[in-house]
Amino acid sequence: MLENWLQAIPTGEAYQINRILYDVQHNRAEEARYFADPKAYIAAFDGLSEAAVRALEVTDVARLYLLGANPYLLRAYCLQLRVPEPDYLAQLRAAGREIEHG
Amino acid sequence: MAEIAGVFAVSHTPVMTNLPEAPGAEVSGFIYEQFRRIGAEIEALSPDALLLISDDHLHNFFLGNMPAFCIGLADSYEGPVEGWLKVERRRMPGARPLAAHILQHCFDAGFDPSFSLDLTLDHGMVTPLELSGLAGKIPAAPLLVNCVQPPLPRMNRCIALGQAIGDAIRSFGELGRVAVLATGGISHDVGTPRMGFVNTEFDHEFLRLLQDGAPEPLAAFSEAQVDTAGNGAEEIRNWLVAHGITGCSPFDLYHYAPVSEWYTGIALGKWTAA
Repeated sequence: MLENWLQAIPTGEAYQINRILYDVQHNRAEEARYFADPKAYIAAFDGLSEAAVRALEVTDVARLYLLGANPYLLRAYCLQLRVPEPDYLAQLRAAGREIEHG
Repeated sequence: MAEIAGVFAVSHTPVMTNLPEAPGAEVSGFIYEQFRRIGAEIEALSPDALLLISDDHLHNFFLGNMPAFCIGLADSYEGPVEGWLKVERRRMPGARPLAAHILQHCFDAGFDPSFSLDLTLDHGMVTPLELSGLAGKIPAAPLLVNCVQPPLPRMNRCIALGQAIGDAIRSFGELGRVAVLATGGISHDVGTPRMGFVNTEFDHEFLRLLQDGAPEPLAAFSEAQVDTAGNGAEEIRNWLVAHGITGCSPFDLYHYAPVSEWYTGIALGKWTAA
């Protein structure tokens, strides 16, 4: 059965991913810096794992979810990046299959 | 001493205002009618203050500092914080004296909520206020319950906190009448692989237990089964706080509908006594 949360306590890696999602949504200066050059913004961010960098660079929704992105922050981030709703949902479903089938 | 004039609960979702027609005009129209009904009932009570119970969807709080409970002590509140929400941003009056009394009483009763004089309200409070026609009309004291980032407060703790808040309101000497509006839930997922799925079985049983009133089976069911109902269903904590405020009186359900187009089960109603 799928559970409501992947992490009972957030990991350090999840914190760093969520830091980006939160800052881009809530800080106008960070938002402007991010959208000016997303790859450079992500590359300059300290503390991200290689997997997190790759997932953020291509907005891999499934991977970000599996790495511990908070679902609420990830939802709003995808809206901000204008990820089409069917693509967003399809990627989440794929993450679900990965959790259920390993 | 203040009287708890009425305690209400409604679901909330940003798509209620952003995609009003998604479930079809008949379904959404009836739900909007129920919101207006509750707004009119609250206004008819002529409350001096409105205690709002919801959760912060990671706008005011973040993993840098994540309170389980937070009481707003500001003189006024702006909202919505979400620029993408199709609700006009406005400043609403705060009910600081009531909030301050509740905060102090909670500490005296063995609870340790955080407090803030700098909150911006999000869709969890703003959307129901807008749909019920109450936005800005009644000074509000916001209580935020962490329902969005584990670890989350236990369900029975939420009922117990509500009982302490009920005592606090009843012992408040500066106001005559206080209304309570809890928002959120019930079954839904936000940003998970199950998004769009509504567990109607969970919703029916949760609402049945709420209508029955007894706190122990309600808390036990909520704790044991919330994982079957989605991460958004964690917001039933807001309902449980309200339930505690009423002394666990039976809930009168006005309307329930699973609305997958809005990604959520929608319920609205009022506790029969406070």
